[in-house]
Amino acid sequence: MAELAIRAQGLTRTFGAVRALDDLTVDVPAGSVFGFLGPNGAGKTTTIRLLLGLIEPTSGSAQVLGFDTRTQGDQIRARSGALLEHSGLYERLSAEDNLRFYGRVAHMPKAELEQRIQELLTHLGLWDRRKDTVVKWSRGMKQKLAIARPLLHRPGLVFLDEPTAGLDPVAAASLRDDLAALASHQGATIFLTTHNMAEAEKLCNLVAVIRQGKLLAVGSPAELRSRGGGQRTEIAGRGFSDAMLATLRQQAEVSQASVDNGRLILVLKDGASAAPLVTLIVREGGEVQEVRSGQGSLEDVFLTLMDEEHK
Amino acid sequence: MNADFITVLWKEWKEIILERSAGGAGSLLSWSNASGWSRPLILIAVLGIFVPFKMPPERFFSATQLLLPTFLSAFVITAVIADSFAGERERHTLETLLASRLSDRSILFGKIAASMAYGWLMSIACIVVGTITVNVVNWRGEILMYHDAASWLIIALGPPLMGGLIATVGVLVSLHAATVRQAQQTLAVGFMVLVFGGIFGSNMLPAEWKIWFGKILVTWTPAVLILAAGGVILAIDLVLLGAGMARFQRARLVLD
Repeated sequence: MAELAIRAQGLTRTFGAVRALDDLTVDVPAGSVFGFLGPNGAGKTTTIRLLLGLIEPTSGSAQVLGFDTRTQGDQIRARSGALLEHSGLYERLSAEDNLRFYGRVAHMPKAELEQRIQELLTHLGLWDRRKDTVVKWSRGMKQKLAIARPLLHRPGLVFLDEPTAGLDPVAAASLRDDLAALASHQGATIFLTTHNMAEAEKLCNLVAVIRQGKLLAVGSPAELRSRGGGQRTEIAGRGFSDAMLATLRQQAEVSQASVDNGRLILVLKDGASAAPLVTLIVREGGEVQEVRSGQGSLEDVFLTLMDEEHK
Repeated sequence: MNADFITVLWKEWKEIILERSAGGAGSLLSWSNASGWSRPLILIAVLGIFVPFKMPPERFFSATQLLLPTFLSAFVITAVIADSFAGERERHTLETLLASRLSDRSILFGKIAASMAYGWLMSIACIVVGTITVNVVNWRGEILMYHDAASWLIIALGPPLMGGLIATVGVLVSLHAATVRQAQQTLAVGFMVLVFGGIFGSNMLPAEWKIWFGKILVTWTPAVLILAAGGVILAIDLVLLGAGMARFQRARLVLD
Protein backbone atom coordinates (compact mmCIF):
# COMPACT_ATOMS: atom_id res chain seq x y z
CA MET A 1 0.00 0.00 0.00
CA ALA A 2 1.26 3.48 -0.89
CA GLU A 3 2.35 5.68 2.00
CA LEU A 4 -0.47 7.95 3.09
CA ALA A 5 -0.14 11.66 3.80
CA ILE A 6 -3.71 11.85 5.09
CA ARG A 7 -6.08 9.19 6.40
CA ALA A 8 -9.51 10.32 7.56
CA GLN A 9 -11.94 7.83 9.03
CA GLY A 10 -15.54 8.78 9.68
CA LEU A 11 -14.52 12.39 10.20
CA THR A 12 -17.55 14.39 11.28
CA ARG A 13 -17.97 17.94 12.48
CA THR A 14 -21.19 19.62 13.48
CA PHE A 15 -21.87 23.26 14.34
CA GLY A 16 -25.09 23.23 16.34
CA ALA A 17 -27.65 21.58 14.09
CA VAL A 18 -25.49 21.95 10.98
CA ARG A 19 -23.44 18.94 9.89
CA ALA A 20 -20.53 20.67 8.17
CA LEU A 21 -18.68 17.42 7.55
CA ASP A 22 -20.46 14.08 7.57
CA ASP A 23 -18.55 10.82 8.02
CA LEU A 24 -15.65 11.62 5.70
CA THR A 25 -13.47 8.62 5.00
CA VAL A 26 -10.66 9.24 2.55
CA ASP A 27 -7.01 8.37 1.99
CA VAL A 28 -4.57 10.76 0.34
CA PRO A 29 -1.36 9.10 -0.89
CA ALA A 30 1.91 10.90 -0.19
CA GLY A 31 3.21 12.88 -3.15
CA SER A 32 -0.18 13.26 -4.82
CA VAL A 33 -2.03 16.41 -5.79
CA PHE A 34 -5.42 15.77 -4.25
CA GLY A 35 -8.35 17.88 -5.36
CA PHE A 36 -11.23 18.34 -2.96
CA LEU A 37 -14.11 19.56 -5.07
CA GLY A 38 -17.37 20.94 -3.90
CA PRO A 39 -19.67 23.92 -4.15
CA ASN A 40 -19.56 26.77 -1.62
CA GLY A 41 -20.51 25.58 1.85
CA ALA A 42 -19.72 21.93 1.03
CA GLY A 43 -17.36 21.54 3.99
CA LYS A 44 -14.02 22.01 2.26
CA THR A 45 -12.66 24.69 4.61
CA THR A 46 -13.92 22.80 7.66
CA THR A 47 -12.04 19.73 6.41
CA ILE A 48 -8.78 21.68 6.15
CA ARG A 49 -9.28 23.15 9.62
CA LEU A 50 -9.85 19.65 10.99
CA LEU A 51 -6.83 18.21 9.21
CA LEU A 52 -4.62 21.00 10.54
CA GLY A 53 -5.84 20.31 14.06
CA LEU A 54 -7.25 23.82 14.36
CA ILE A 55 -10.66 22.46 15.37
CA GLU A 56 -11.63 19.09 16.79
CA PRO A 57 -13.91 16.65 15.04
CA THR A 58 -17.26 15.85 16.66
CA SER A 59 -16.58 12.20 15.84
CA GLY A 60 -14.20 10.15 13.76
CA SER A 61 -10.47 10.62 13.46
CA ALA A 62 -7.74 11.64 11.07
CA GLN A 63 -4.02 11.09 10.80
CA VAL A 64 -2.01 13.64 8.89
CA LEU A 65 1.63 12.78 8.11
CA GLY A 66 1.20 10.07 10.73
CA PHE A 67 0.03 12.45 13.47
CA ASP A 68 -3.36 12.47 15.13
CA THR A 69 -5.23 15.70 14.43
CA ARG A 70 -6.86 15.73 17.87
CA THR A 71 -3.70 15.49 19.93
CA GLN A 72 -0.79 16.33 17.64
CA GLY A 73 -1.99 19.38 15.76
CA ASP A 74 1.24 21.23 16.54
CA GLN A 75 3.29 18.46 14.87
CA ILE A 76 1.06 18.62 11.79
CA ARG A 77 1.26 22.40 11.56
CA ALA A 78 5.05 22.26 11.92
CA ARG A 79 5.34 19.90 8.95
CA SER A 80 2.78 21.41 6.62
CA GLY A 81 2.01 24.70 4.91
CA ALA A 82 -1.42 26.21 4.43
CA LEU A 83 -3.03 28.81 2.26
CA LEU A 84 -6.45 29.17 3.83
CA GLU A 85 -9.61 30.95 2.77
CA HIS A 86 -7.86 34.34 2.93
CA SER A 87 -4.35 35.10 1.75
CA GLY A 88 -3.18 35.78 5.31
CA LEU A 89 -0.64 38.36 4.13
CA TYR A 90 0.43 41.27 6.31
CA GLU A 91 -0.30 44.08 3.91
CA ARG A 92 1.77 46.71 5.71
CA LEU A 93 4.85 44.51 5.50
CA SER A 94 6.90 44.08 2.36
CA ALA A 95 6.64 40.89 0.33
CA GLU A 96 10.02 39.69 1.51
CA ASP A 97 9.20 40.47 5.14
CA ASN A 98 6.00 38.45 4.85
CA LEU A 99 8.02 35.48 3.65
CA ARG A 100 10.83 36.21 6.11
CA PHE A 101 8.35 36.09 9.00
CA TYR A 102 6.93 32.72 8.04
CA GLY A 103 10.43 31.41 7.24
CA ARG A 104 11.53 32.36 10.74
CA VAL A 105 8.39 30.74 12.11
CA ALA A 106 9.46 27.55 10.30
CA HIS A 107 12.95 27.86 11.86
CA MET A 108 14.70 28.08 8.48
CA PRO A 109 18.40 28.99 8.70
CA LYS A 110 18.88 32.62 7.62
CA ALA A 111 21.02 31.96 4.53
CA GLU A 112 18.69 29.23 3.30
CA LEU A 113 15.66 31.43 3.95
CA GLU A 114 17.05 34.35 1.94
CA GLN A 115 17.99 32.03 -0.91
CA ARG A 116 14.55 30.42 -0.89
CA ILE A 117 12.79 33.80 -0.87
CA GLN A 118 14.79 34.82 -3.92
CA GLU A 119 14.08 31.50 -5.64
CA LEU A 120 10.32 31.65 -5.08
CA LEU A 121 9.85 35.34 -5.82
CA THR A 122 11.95 35.04 -8.97
CA HIS A 123 9.97 32.01 -10.11
CA LEU A 124 6.70 33.86 -9.55
CA GLY A 125 7.95 37.03 -11.23
CA LEU A 126 7.76 39.07 -8.03
CA TRP A 127 11.44 39.54 -7.19
CA ASP A 128 11.69 43.10 -8.50
CA ARG A 129 8.77 44.17 -6.29
CA ARG A 130 9.96 42.37 -3.16
CA LYS A 131 10.48 45.54 -1.12
CA ASP A 132 7.02 46.96 -1.86
CA THR A 133 4.46 46.80 0.90
CA VAL A 134 1.93 44.19 -0.13
CA VAL A 135 -0.94 46.66 0.14
CA LYS A 136 0.25 48.24 -3.14
CA TRP A 137 0.04 44.99 -5.08
CA SER A 138 -2.67 43.69 -7.39
CA ARG A 139 -4.87 40.83 -6.23
CA GLY A 140 -3.11 38.39 -8.56
CA MET A 141 0.32 39.33 -7.23
CA LYS A 142 -0.89 38.99 -3.65
CA GLN A 143 -2.30 35.55 -4.38
CA LYS A 144 1.00 34.45 -5.93
CA LEU A 145 2.80 35.61 -2.81
CA ALA A 146 0.21 33.86 -0.65
CA ILE A 147 0.95 30.61 -2.50
CA ALA A 148 4.70 31.09 -2.08
CA ARG A 149 4.27 31.40 1.68
CA PRO A 150 3.18 27.82 2.49
CA LEU A 151 5.75 26.42 0.03
CA LEU A 152 8.60 28.41 1.56
CA HIS A 153 9.92 25.84 4.01
CA ARG A 154 9.39 22.92 1.61
CA PRO A 155 6.80 21.16 3.76
CA GLY A 156 5.76 17.58 3.07
CA LEU A 157 2.12 18.60 2.82
CA VAL A 158 0.55 21.79 1.52
CA PHE A 159 -3.10 22.78 1.96
CA LEU A 160 -4.41 25.22 -0.61
CA ASP A 161 -7.95 26.44 -0.07
CA GLU A 162 -9.31 27.73 -3.38
CA PRO A 163 -6.02 29.33 -4.45
CA THR A 164 -7.40 30.93 -7.62
CA ALA A 165 -10.72 32.13 -6.18
CA GLY A 166 -11.56 35.70 -7.12
CA LEU A 167 -8.85 36.03 -9.76
CA ASP A 168 -9.52 37.00 -13.34
CA PRO A 169 -9.15 34.14 -15.87
CA VAL A 170 -5.73 35.23 -17.08
CA ALA A 171 -4.31 35.60 -13.57
CA ALA A 172 -5.93 32.30 -12.53
CA ALA A 173 -4.43 30.45 -15.53
CA SER A 174 -1.02 31.92 -14.84
CA LEU A 175 -1.27 30.96 -11.19
CA ARG A 176 -2.31 27.41 -12.13
CA ASP A 177 0.77 27.11 -14.34
CA ASP A 178 2.96 28.31 -11.49
CA LEU A 179 1.27 25.94 -9.09
CA ALA A 180 1.69 22.97 -11.44
CA ALA A 181 5.38 23.79 -11.89
CA LEU A 182 5.95 24.27 -8.18
CA ALA A 183 4.06 21.08 -7.32
CA SER A 184 6.08 18.94 -9.70
CA HIS A 185 9.34 20.64 -8.70
CA GLN A 186 8.66 20.35 -4.99
CA GLY A 187 7.28 16.82 -4.86
CA ALA A 188 5.07 17.53 -1.86
CA THR A 189 1.56 16.26 -1.23
CA ILE A 190 -0.89 18.99 -2.16
CA PHE A 191 -4.41 19.07 -0.75
CA LEU A 192 -6.27 21.51 -2.98
CA THR A 193 -9.85 22.59 -2.51
CA THR A 194 -11.62 24.21 -5.41
CA HIS A 195 -14.89 24.51 -7.21
CA ASN A 196 -13.05 25.11 -10.47
CA MET A 197 -13.13 21.84 -12.42
CA ALA A 198 -10.59 22.97 -15.02
CA GLU A 199 -8.19 23.65 -12.20
CA ALA A 200 -8.74 20.23 -10.69
CA GLU A 201 -8.39 18.55 -14.08
CA LYS A 202 -5.14 20.35 -14.80
CA LEU A 203 -3.48 19.95 -11.43
CA CYS A 204 -4.84 16.89 -9.63
CA ASN A 205 -4.06 13.23 -9.99
CA LEU A 206 -6.74 12.31 -7.46
CA VAL A 207 -10.01 14.09 -6.76
CA ALA A 208 -12.85 13.77 -4.29
CA VAL A 209 -16.25 15.37 -4.68
CA ILE A 210 -18.06 16.63 -1.59
CA ARG A 211 -21.47 18.19 -1.12
CA GLN A 212 -23.12 19.28 2.12
CA GLY A 213 -20.35 17.57 4.06
CA LYS A 214 -20.81 14.20 2.35
CA LEU A 215 -18.24 12.55 0.14
CA LEU A 216 -19.89 11.67 -3.18
CA ALA A 217 -17.02 10.20 -5.18
CA VAL A 218 -13.26 9.78 -5.14
CA GLY A 219 -10.78 8.70 -7.83
CA SER A 220 -8.50 9.99 -10.54
CA PRO A 221 -10.06 12.51 -12.94
CA ALA A 222 -9.99 9.84 -15.69
CA GLU A 223 -11.67 7.28 -13.40
CA LEU A 224 -14.38 9.72 -12.42
CA ARG A 225 -14.99 10.74 -16.00
CA SER A 226 -15.40 7.14 -17.09
CA ARG A 227 -17.39 6.22 -14.00
CA GLY A 228 -19.87 9.00 -13.83
CA GLY A 229 -19.35 11.45 -16.64
CA GLY A 230 -20.78 9.26 -19.35
CA GLN A 231 -20.91 10.60 -22.85
CA ARG A 232 -21.20 14.29 -23.58
CA THR A 233 -23.25 15.28 -26.61
CA GLU A 234 -23.27 18.83 -27.82
CA ILE A 235 -26.00 19.84 -30.26
CA ALA A 236 -25.92 23.06 -32.27
CA GLY A 237 -29.23 24.30 -33.53
CA ARG A 238 -32.31 26.29 -32.51
CA GLY A 239 -35.53 26.02 -30.56
CA PHE A 240 -34.19 24.43 -27.40
CA SER A 241 -37.02 25.43 -25.10
CA ASP A 242 -37.39 24.90 -21.34
CA ALA A 243 -40.16 22.41 -22.03
CA MET A 244 -37.84 20.46 -24.29
CA LEU A 245 -35.13 20.45 -21.62
CA ALA A 246 -37.66 19.14 -19.09
CA THR A 247 -38.68 16.36 -21.50
CA LEU A 248 -35.05 15.43 -22.14
CA ARG A 249 -34.27 15.31 -18.43
CA GLN A 250 -37.05 12.78 -17.98
CA GLN A 251 -35.39 10.36 -20.41
CA ALA A 252 -33.73 7.40 -18.69
CA GLU A 253 -30.50 7.69 -20.71
CA VAL A 254 -30.00 11.42 -19.88
CA SER A 255 -27.96 12.38 -16.82
CA GLN A 256 -27.97 16.07 -17.56
CA ALA A 257 -29.46 18.48 -20.04
CA SER A 258 -28.64 22.17 -20.27
CA VAL A 259 -28.23 24.97 -22.77
CA ASP A 260 -24.90 26.76 -22.90
CA ASN A 261 -24.29 29.59 -25.39
CA GLY A 262 -27.19 28.42 -27.53
CA ARG A 263 -25.89 24.87 -27.64
CA LEU A 264 -27.75 21.99 -26.08
CA ILE A 265 -25.46 19.97 -23.83
CA LEU A 266 -26.52 16.43 -22.96
CA VAL A 267 -24.62 14.13 -20.65
CA LEU A 268 -25.71 10.57 -21.39
CA LYS A 269 -25.37 7.52 -19.21
CA ASP A 270 -22.76 4.94 -20.24
CA GLY A 271 -23.74 3.02 -23.36
CA ALA A 272 -26.63 5.32 -24.25
CA SER A 273 -27.07 6.48 -27.84
CA ALA A 274 -27.74 10.09 -28.86
CA ALA A 275 -29.72 9.15 -32.01
CA PRO A 276 -33.16 8.61 -30.38
CA LEU A 277 -32.72 11.84 -28.46
CA VAL A 278 -31.99 13.79 -31.64
CA THR A 279 -35.23 12.37 -33.08
CA LEU A 280 -37.05 13.45 -29.92
CA ILE A 281 -35.60 16.98 -30.16
CA VAL A 282 -36.75 17.34 -33.79
CA ARG A 283 -40.19 15.94 -32.88
CA GLU A 284 -40.45 18.54 -30.09
CA GLY A 285 -39.83 21.36 -32.58
CA GLY A 286 -36.07 21.80 -32.29
CA GLU A 287 -33.79 22.34 -35.26
CA VAL A 288 -30.57 20.31 -35.23
CA GLN A 289 -27.65 21.59 -37.28
CA GLU A 290 -24.72 19.67 -35.81
CA VAL A 291 -24.24 16.85 -33.28
CA ARG A 292 -20.91 16.23 -31.56
CA SER A 293 -20.27 13.42 -29.10
CA GLY A 294 -17.29 12.84 -26.79
CA GLN A 295 -16.15 11.85 -23.31
CA GLY A 296 -17.74 13.86 -20.50
CA SER A 297 -15.51 16.32 -18.66
CA LEU A 298 -14.84 16.40 -14.95
CA GLU A 299 -17.29 19.27 -14.78
CA ASP A 300 -19.97 17.00 -16.27
CA VAL A 301 -19.16 14.37 -13.64
CA PHE A 302 -19.35 16.98 -10.94
CA LEU A 303 -22.67 18.37 -12.14
CA THR A 304 -24.09 14.88 -12.51
CA LEU A 305 -23.05 14.01 -8.96
CA MET A 306 -24.55 17.24 -7.65
CA ASP A 307 -27.72 16.54 -9.58
CA GLU A 308 -28.01 12.94 -8.36
CA GLU A 309 -27.41 13.97 -4.76
CA HIS A 310 -30.00 16.71 -5.11
CA LYS A 311 -32.58 14.22 -6.45
CA MET B 1 9.67 28.90 22.37
CA ASN B 2 12.27 31.68 22.68
CA ALA B 3 12.99 31.84 18.95
CA ASP B 4 9.26 31.86 18.18
CA PHE B 5 8.65 34.56 20.77
CA ILE B 6 11.37 36.72 19.21
CA THR B 7 9.90 36.07 15.75
CA VAL B 8 6.43 37.24 16.81
CA LEU B 9 7.98 40.24 18.59
CA TRP B 10 9.90 41.10 15.38
CA LYS B 11 6.77 40.92 13.27
CA GLU B 12 4.71 42.96 15.73
CA TRP B 13 7.38 45.66 15.89
CA LYS B 14 7.60 45.82 12.13
CA GLU B 15 3.84 46.26 11.98
CA ILE B 16 3.82 48.92 14.71
CA ILE B 17 6.64 50.86 13.06
CA LEU B 18 5.01 50.54 9.66
CA GLU B 19 2.01 52.40 11.02
CA ARG B 20 -0.26 49.46 11.67
CA SER B 21 -2.88 51.61 13.30
CA ALA B 22 -2.67 54.52 10.89
CA GLY B 23 -5.95 55.30 9.23
CA GLY B 24 -7.77 52.81 11.40
CA ALA B 25 -11.26 53.15 12.74
CA GLY B 26 -12.16 56.06 14.97
CA SER B 27 -11.76 55.80 18.67
CA LEU B 28 -12.39 57.66 21.84
CA LEU B 29 -8.62 57.92 22.19
CA SER B 30 -7.51 60.96 20.24
CA TRP B 31 -4.14 59.46 19.31
CA SER B 32 -5.34 55.94 18.59
CA ASN B 33 -5.52 56.77 14.93
CA ALA B 34 -2.12 58.41 14.80
CA SER B 35 0.56 56.43 13.02
CA GLY B 36 3.30 54.30 14.56
CA TRP B 37 5.72 57.19 14.11
CA SER B 38 3.55 60.22 14.83
CA ARG B 39 2.12 58.84 18.08
CA PRO B 40 5.50 58.74 19.91
CA LEU B 41 6.55 62.03 18.39
CA ILE B 42 3.42 63.77 19.69
CA LEU B 43 3.90 62.27 23.15
CA ILE B 44 7.61 63.08 23.29
CA ALA B 45 6.98 66.64 22.08
CA VAL B 46 4.40 67.22 24.83
CA LEU B 47 5.92 65.31 27.76
CA GLY B 48 9.58 65.61 26.77
CA ILE B 49 9.73 69.22 25.58
CA PHE B 50 6.61 71.31 26.20
CA VAL B 51 5.83 70.31 29.82
CA PRO B 52 9.49 70.27 31.09
CA PHE B 53 10.13 73.60 29.35
CA LYS B 54 7.53 75.27 31.57
CA MET B 55 8.35 73.38 34.77
CA PRO B 56 10.81 74.26 37.55
CA PRO B 57 13.62 71.65 37.79
CA GLU B 58 12.82 70.65 41.39
CA ARG B 59 9.27 69.80 40.35
CA PHE B 60 10.31 67.99 37.16
CA PHE B 61 12.80 65.79 39.03
CA SER B 62 10.23 64.51 41.54
CA ALA B 63 8.72 61.06 41.83
CA THR B 64 5.13 62.30 41.46
CA GLN B 65 5.96 64.08 38.20
CA LEU B 66 7.27 60.77 36.81
CA LEU B 67 3.82 59.25 37.12
CA LEU B 68 2.62 61.31 34.14
CA PRO B 69 4.87 59.78 31.44
CA THR B 70 4.43 56.38 33.07
CA PHE B 71 0.62 56.51 32.90
CA LEU B 72 0.41 58.20 29.53
CA SER B 73 2.86 55.80 27.90
CA ALA B 74 0.87 52.89 29.28
CA PHE B 75 -2.28 54.54 27.98
CA VAL B 76 -0.74 54.79 24.51
CA ILE B 77 -0.28 51.02 24.55
CA THR B 78 -4.06 50.69 24.21
CA ALA B 79 -3.78 51.86 20.59
CA VAL B 80 -1.44 49.03 19.61
CA ILE B 81 -2.65 46.25 21.89
CA ALA B 82 -6.24 46.70 20.67
CA ASP B 83 -4.94 45.79 17.24
CA SER B 84 -3.13 42.65 18.42
CA PHE B 85 -5.81 40.02 17.79
CA ALA B 86 -8.81 42.08 16.65
CA GLY B 87 -6.65 43.60 13.90
CA GLU B 88 -5.42 40.20 12.74
CA ARG B 89 -9.03 38.99 12.75
CA GLU B 90 -10.25 42.06 10.86
CA ARG B 91 -7.49 41.79 8.22
CA HIS B 92 -7.95 38.00 7.90
CA THR B 93 -4.41 37.11 8.96
CA LEU B 94 -5.29 35.43 12.26
CA GLU B 95 -6.22 32.01 10.93
CA THR B 96 -3.01 31.77 8.89
CA LEU B 97 -1.03 32.71 11.99
CA LEU B 98 -2.87 30.07 14.01
CA ALA B 99 -2.28 27.49 11.28
CA SER B 100 1.48 27.96 11.67
CA ARG B 101 3.79 26.04 13.96
CA LEU B 102 3.86 28.90 16.49
CA SER B 103 2.85 27.89 19.99
CA ASP B 104 -0.02 29.62 21.79
CA ARG B 105 2.39 31.14 24.28
CA SER B 106 4.81 32.52 21.73
CA ILE B 107 1.97 34.28 19.90
CA LEU B 108 0.38 35.64 23.08
CA PHE B 109 3.62 36.64 24.84
CA GLY B 110 5.12 38.07 21.64
CA LYS B 111 2.16 40.38 21.15
CA ILE B 112 2.06 41.47 24.80
CA ALA B 113 5.83 42.03 24.91
CA ALA B 114 5.80 44.11 21.71
CA SER B 115 3.14 46.44 23.13
CA MET B 116 4.86 46.68 26.50
CA ALA B 117 8.19 47.47 24.85
CA TYR B 118 6.49 50.17 22.77
CA GLY B 119 5.09 51.89 25.87
CA TRP B 120 8.29 51.38 27.83
CA LEU B 121 10.46 52.92 25.12
CA MET B 122 8.09 55.86 24.85
CA SER B 123 8.14 56.59 28.57
CA ILE B 124 11.95 56.31 28.67
CA ALA B 125 12.19 58.59 25.64
CA CYS B 126 9.91 61.15 27.32
CA ILE B 127 11.97 61.04 30.52
CA VAL B 128 15.33 61.31 28.69
CA VAL B 129 14.18 64.13 26.38
CA GLY B 130 12.53 65.87 29.36
CA THR B 131 15.76 65.64 31.36
CA ILE B 132 17.72 67.14 28.45
CA THR B 133 15.12 69.91 28.02
CA VAL B 134 15.19 70.85 31.72
CA ASN B 135 19.00 70.87 31.72
CA VAL B 136 19.19 73.02 28.59
CA VAL B 137 16.64 75.52 29.91
CA ASN B 138 18.11 75.66 33.42
CA TRP B 139 21.80 75.12 32.70
CA ARG B 140 23.95 76.21 35.63
CA GLY B 141 27.14 74.33 34.87
CA GLU B 142 26.07 70.99 36.34
CA ILE B 143 23.77 68.23 35.16
CA LEU B 144 20.42 68.08 36.94
CA MET B 145 19.11 64.57 37.54
CA TYR B 146 16.66 62.48 39.58
CA HIS B 147 18.16 62.11 43.03
CA ASP B 148 15.83 59.99 45.15
CA ALA B 149 15.29 56.24 45.27
CA ALA B 150 11.53 56.59 44.70
CA SER B 151 12.10 58.29 41.33
CA TRP B 152 14.51 55.63 40.14
CA LEU B 153 12.13 52.90 41.29
CA ILE B 154 9.31 54.49 39.26
CA ILE B 155 11.58 54.76 36.22
CA ALA B 156 12.60 51.12 36.56
CA LEU B 157 9.28 49.53 37.58
CA GLY B 158 6.54 51.89 36.44
CA PRO B 159 6.58 51.46 32.65
CA PRO B 160 6.89 47.65 32.58
CA LEU B 161 4.32 47.07 35.34
CA MET B 162 1.77 49.63 34.10
CA GLY B 163 2.48 48.62 30.51
CA GLY B 164 1.98 45.00 31.50
CA LEU B 165 -1.35 45.88 33.11
CA ILE B 166 -2.64 47.69 30.02
CA ALA B 167 -1.20 45.10 27.63
CA THR B 168 -2.74 42.12 29.44
CA VAL B 169 -6.13 43.81 29.77
CA GLY B 170 -5.83 44.93 26.15
CA VAL B 171 -5.00 41.48 24.85
CA LEU B 172 -8.01 40.02 26.68
CA VAL B 173 -10.27 42.65 25.11
CA SER B 174 -8.66 42.21 21.69
CA LEU B 175 -9.12 38.42 21.84
CA HIS B 176 -12.86 38.96 22.33
CA ALA B 177 -13.39 41.92 19.99
CA ALA B 178 -14.61 41.51 16.42
CA THR B 179 -12.91 44.69 15.21
CA VAL B 180 -10.08 47.01 16.23
CA ARG B 181 -12.58 49.81 16.71
CA GLN B 182 -14.61 47.72 19.13
CA ALA B 183 -11.47 46.79 21.08
CA GLN B 184 -10.29 50.41 21.24
CA GLN B 185 -13.66 51.65 22.43
CA THR B 186 -13.96 48.93 25.05
CA LEU B 187 -10.49 49.77 26.36
CA ALA B 188 -11.16 53.52 26.38
CA VAL B 189 -14.42 53.09 28.28
CA GLY B 190 -12.78 50.62 30.67
CA PHE B 191 -9.94 53.03 31.28
CA MET B 192 -12.34 55.88 32.08
CA VAL B 193 -14.41 53.67 34.36
CA LEU B 194 -11.22 52.68 36.18
CA VAL B 195 -10.03 56.28 36.62
CA PHE B 196 -13.39 57.78 37.63
CA GLY B 197 -14.32 54.68 39.61
CA GLY B 198 -11.04 55.02 41.51
CA ILE B 199 -11.65 58.67 42.27
CA PHE B 200 -15.26 58.24 43.40
CA GLY B 201 -14.59 54.86 44.99
CA SER B 202 -11.83 56.26 47.19
CA ASN B 203 -14.23 58.92 48.48
CA MET B 204 -16.77 56.27 49.40
CA LEU B 205 -14.36 54.12 51.40
CA PRO B 206 -15.24 53.59 55.09
CA ALA B 207 -13.57 56.09 57.41
CA GLU B 208 -11.42 53.44 59.13
CA TRP B 209 -10.03 52.34 55.73
CA LYS B 210 -9.17 55.92 54.88
CA ILE B 211 -7.36 56.28 58.20
CA TRP B 212 -5.50 53.02 57.55
CA PHE B 213 -4.39 54.23 54.10
CA GLY B 214 -3.49 57.62 55.53
CA LYS B 215 -1.24 55.95 58.13
CA ILE B 216 0.46 53.95 55.41
CA LEU B 217 1.11 57.08 53.37
CA VAL B 218 2.56 58.85 56.38
CA THR B 219 4.59 56.02 57.87
CA TRP B 220 5.92 54.23 54.78
CA THR B 221 8.74 55.79 52.80
CA PRO B 222 7.98 56.66 49.14
CA ALA B 223 10.29 53.89 47.97
CA VAL B 224 8.48 51.27 50.08
CA LEU B 225 5.12 52.58 48.90
CA ILE B 226 6.22 52.24 45.28
CA LEU B 227 7.51 48.72 45.88
CA ALA B 228 4.22 47.74 47.53
CA ALA B 229 2.15 49.26 44.71
CA GLY B 230 4.44 47.54 42.22
CA GLY B 231 3.84 44.22 43.96
CA VAL B 232 0.07 44.67 43.75
CA ILE B 233 0.23 45.63 40.05
CA LEU B 234 2.54 42.69 39.33
CA ALA B 235 0.04 40.31 40.96
CA ILE B 236 -2.78 41.77 38.84
CA ASP B 237 -0.57 41.50 35.71
CA LEU B 238 0.03 37.81 36.41
CA VAL B 239 -3.66 37.08 37.02
CA LEU B 240 -4.60 38.84 33.76
CA LEU B 241 -1.83 37.01 31.88
CA GLY B 242 -3.24 33.73 33.17
CA ALA B 243 -6.70 34.77 32.00
CA GLY B 244 -5.29 35.61 28.56
CA MET B 245 -3.62 32.21 28.33
CA ALA B 246 -6.87 30.51 29.30
CA ARG B 247 -8.81 32.51 26.70
CA PHE B 248 -6.32 31.78 23.94
CA GLN B 249 -7.82 28.69 22.32
CA ARG B 250 -7.12 28.11 18.64
CA ALA B 251 -10.47 26.51 17.88
CA ARG B 252 -12.38 29.38 19.47
CA LEU B 253 -10.27 31.99 17.72
CA VAL B 254 -10.65 30.26 14.34
CA LEU B 255 -14.41 29.98 14.66
CA ASP B 256 -15.07 33.40 16.26
